[in-house]
Amino acid sequence: MEPLNLPATLDALDPIADFVLEAAKAAGLEKKAAYRLRLAVDEIATNIVTHGYEEMGMTGDIQVYADMDEESLTITLEDTAVPYNPFEQDPVSEEELQKPLEERPIGGLGLFLTIRGVDRFSYERVANINRNMFLMLRPKEGAPDVQ
Amino acid sequence: MSIDVKVEYRGTDGVITLGGQLDASAAPAFKSAIEDVFNGPEKVGRLVILMQDLEYMASAGLRALVFAKQKAGAGVPIVLVAPQEGVLETIEMTGFHHSVIIEETYA
Repeated sequence: MEPLNLPATLDALDPIADFVLEAAKAAGLEKKAAYRLRLAVDEIATNIVTHGYEEMGMTGDIQVYADMDEESLTITLEDTAVPYNPFEQDPVSEEELQKPLEERPIGGLGLFLTIRGVDRFSYERVANINRNMFLMLRPKEGAPDVQ
Repeated sequence: MSIDVKVEYRGTDGVITLGGQLDASAAPAFKSAIEDVFNGPEKVGRLVILMQDLEYMASAGLRALVFAKQKAGAGVPIVLVAPQEGVLETIEMTGFHHSVIIEETYA
């Protein structure tokens, strides 16, 4: 698939979701896996737009790539906002997830859903680029439909 | 992003109907519906959110539910009706099902 290049605003979330779901379909991901991948990419794209660019008073673009081989589908987000390493944020803890809503910290849920939702999530800073990668394993050919 | 939000009262239930895609760009519309319910003329006995046509919900939707819980206070339950598979999985993974009531149909 041709990469997407979009202005980094919340309006980009919609076309990014379409792109990810199309790639997931091409890779043969099941409905649930496709949903989780879309959720993961959406959460990080939201963070890039709001924390990476808007809160810093910056504008810029966000690039989306899809790469597929026999084993897996990888979606990659690239941006040139401030360095923003998701692994330096704290996802919510299991303990916090058991708390009633009114006692919850407000942040960290998106990152938690990202890490839980995909088979591999990675971040790297290369020169002035933030690169977030989301890998999903493809269903094996000939695998039984029902486990 | 296309989200459909409708607010109504059915007896003492404040009812919000959601449809489409609830991502970060759509969350403010949901949040403002929650404010409408609790700022309206009726005292709300329950907040009911009809989700059968909601295809997607990001964490921004979860944060709006936290906001709803704060608005509702302890005595007003939040009922989520018929969330689809993906939305339900997110609610359960994040433990939100301990703090809301999930029903298959609106009674």
